Amino acid sequence: MIEMKSITKSFGTNVVLKDVSITIKGGEICALIGENGAGKSTLMNILGGVHQMDSGEIFIDSQRVRFDTPAQSLGAGIAFIHQELNLINDLPIFENMFVGRELKDKRGRLDLTSMFKATEDIFERMDIKLDPGTMVRDLDASYKQIVEICRAIMMDASVIIMDEPTTSLTEPEIKRVFHMMRTLRDQGVGIIFISHKLGEVMEVCQRYVVLRDGKLVAEGDVADVTTDDLTRFMVGHAIRIEKLTRTQRIGQEILRLENFTHARSFREISLSVREGEILGVTGLLGDGRSALFQTVFGADRALSGKMFLGGEEVKVTSTEQALQMGIGYLPRNRKENGILKDMNVLENASIVTWPLFAKRGVIDTDRHGKVFKSQQRELDITLQSFKDAINTLSGGNQQKVVLAKWLAANPRLLILDNPTQGVDVGAKEEIYEIILKLAEEGMAVVVLSSEAQEIIRLCDRALVMYHGQIQGEVLDTTMTEHEIMRLATGGIVEAV
Amino acid sequence: MQAAKGKKKNVVSRLMEARAADSHVGIALVLLLLIVLQTLVLGFDFGSFGQWFSAWFRNWINILRNNAGVGIVALGMTFVIITGGIDLAVGSTLVATGAVIMTLIDTGAGGVLGLLGITGVPAYVMAIVLALVMGYVLGTGIGLLITKGRIAPFIATLGAMKIFRSVTQHFMQGYNPRVPRDFLQISNLQIGGLMFMPIVYWAIIAIVLHYISKRTTFGRQVIAVGSNERAAQLSGVNVNRVKTRVYSLMGVLVSIAAIVQVARIGSMDYANAGSGMEMDAIAATVVGGTSMAGGRGTILGTFMGMLIIAVMNNLLNLFGVPPFLREAFKGLIVVLAVLLQRKQRT
Repeated sequence: MIEMKSITKSFGTNVVLKDVSITIKGGEICALIGENGAGKSTLMNILGGVHQMDSGEIFIDSQRVRFDTPAQSLGAGIAFIHQELNLINDLPIFENMFVGRELKDKRGRLDLTSMFKATEDIFERMDIKLDPGTMVRDLDASYKQIVEICRAIMMDASVIIMDEPTTSLTEPEIKRVFHMMRTLRDQGVGIIFISHKLGEVMEVCQRYVVLRDGKLVAEGDVADVTTDDLTRFMVGHAIRIEKLTRTQRIGQEILRLENFTHARSFREISLSVREGEILGVTGLLGDGRSALFQTVFGADRALSGKMFLGGEEVKVTSTEQALQMGIGYLPRNRKENGILKDMNVLENASIVTWPLFAKRGVIDTDRHGKVFKSQQRELDITLQSFKDAINTLSGGNQQKVVLAKWLAANPRLLILDNPTQGVDVGAKEEIYEIILKLAEEGMAVVVLSSEAQEIIRLCDRALVMYHGQIQGEVLDTTMTEHEIMRLATGGIVEAV
Repeated sequence: MQAAKGKKKNVVSRLMEARAADSHVGIALVLLLLIVLQTLVLGFDFGSFGQWFSAWFRNWINILRNNAGVGIVALGMTFVIITGGIDLAVGSTLVATGAVIMTLIDTGAGGVLGLLGITGVPAYVMAIVLALVMGYVLGTGIGLLITKGRIAPFIATLGAMKIFRSVTQHFMQGYNPRVPRDFLQISNLQIGGLMFMPIVYWAIIAIVLHYISKRTTFGRQVIAVGSNERAAQLSGVNVNRVKTRVYSLMGVLVSIAAIVQVARIGSMDYANAGSGMEMDAIAATVVGGTSMAGGRGTILGTFMGMLIIAVMNNLLNLFGVPPFLREAFKGLIVVLAVLLQRKQRT
């Protein structure tokens, strides 16, 4: 049994955990749920020895312990199975089971036979039909998960933390992992199951713990609650945040997708966006919305389905083509996808329009400078000189520069993927205002965001995605955090 | 006291920043130092300045002319490396395009254009154009292998390096084309008793490429792709086309180097010509401040990098360093250059 008592933790001035106490018993599966940023990961990272708590105590079987490193935590019988699995694809299962603590014979050679045998034993105990000699590369995601769990068991783990293990799994694979989890539970192992999917929580867990804004807000037996209750715990009261208003002049249809399907990321997406409309698309991590709109933008290919732009069917095969057709895409993760770190501010703000303004291939620096100068005033970008390196700007200003490069191209359809990521509150409001103004001017805007509040404030209507499909649409009275969360966790649309 | 110390540190760190921002300063200083050293070794003599200067100048013309071919190739290599790629096939492309020119303009029985009755200047123009086309085609082929075929640049160009040279050697064995005398004028034209045409070509190409790199959409997209390929793609840059074009450009530049070389010596050793050229070009590029990780690099830097290596060679020669040891110095200077640049950046 593990007890975490009065755990408090802050990063800088940001308090992420306030006086949180939880207990995990052997032989039960406990769900740890909460919105993004509620403190779930931090709490588990403290238990896993990745982070150190500021105050609080941890007890294992009434013995007080302290973990300064992940190794200490593992030594105490706590195994943390991360979302990104920790297996070596090019080794067979049984060697993966012993990576870092290989069995050796007297002469220092690898004792493959014993390792193979030990793996076989554990599979038998766990009721898994798998050949230990299989290469990990050839396993599907669920079996990889299972191998990792078995490795934890082999190291005598008494508590296993699973961080959203089902995100990348298909239905039958999820069933397989659940079966494994139940087997473990019956053998007395305690499991902490971090998940956003409330349906799964109801199915496999006995207890639940809900965090919100770093505080423990609810705990109890799963049998006593419904998914609706859990949703309410997660978001607090079902308050509707004040919506930003603007004069709406919805015009002609700009983008229409029909049964748009990708090999893995999304399936049978049908949607439509009009001039002057702000469409929200939301969901949880891994719902496929970024992949969907990157495909619309030509950065990836769709397997089947049709795409119409301004009423005409189009096939977009490159981002360059998308740009010429008047589609803009502000990417998520500014650092990886948005910023050219070796180039200056002006170049970062004008890369999109280079080919549009160029005369016989020569960049029209003067024109870019003029355009950016007026944008700098409009977007209120603080900077010293256009020639400064881009990373001398603050996050909010960098984001505005990335936005500026798309505004300069004046697209018909602008897709904004997490437009306020890593931006402080003030800049956030400024970016909202810019987006509203764009829509007023007749641009079709799509906002992708995992923040329900952002969607509610900005968008006229929103599509909620779940597992690569559109789970439902919210608008007017149904556009609440509660409803969005319910759909995003796999709930179905209620018949009105 | 404390404040003064703080201020002093500030000045130093500001100086360091200024140097880091303009990475050419360091290279230029090293180059200058080497030139001064070389001048001293040559024996600076005020008494007969005119004579001394004449000797010094001639020495320089020689240095530059001998390095013009590799210098031109290094300029193209800069673009390739900025995109995060590499081209090992330049030496083989050189012999392949060289063979094409020689076969076309041969005055003997095998000369293709001669057989067609085309001789003189029209033949030379045609040969040059076809050589450029050949370089373009070979380079584009490599580029497509890398972009459409998704083969790592190192592997694709390693393969091309083997193929081009071996095929050239096979078809050219036992065939000794004779290059017409007039054609040799391309490289050997003397003005005022000096042969400097290769230097002129090199300089013109450097200026044009410098302009392309700094001012054109293509040039800046090359930097963007090398800096952050994904971000460039998501900014509407056709990454594959930019990369393919970089290798096409490389092919064209190599064919120019081939023309210059054929016109200079009137023959080509298909087994050895241009072997090691890729490494010299890469060395010049790296010494010139281009990052092997991509995203950083300038034509001016590479030009100076090539000069540094050239002067270094000349110095080793003047010092009478044994030939086998010279390569070691070349290696040393590459490693030192990269170390220095890393120091500057951090």
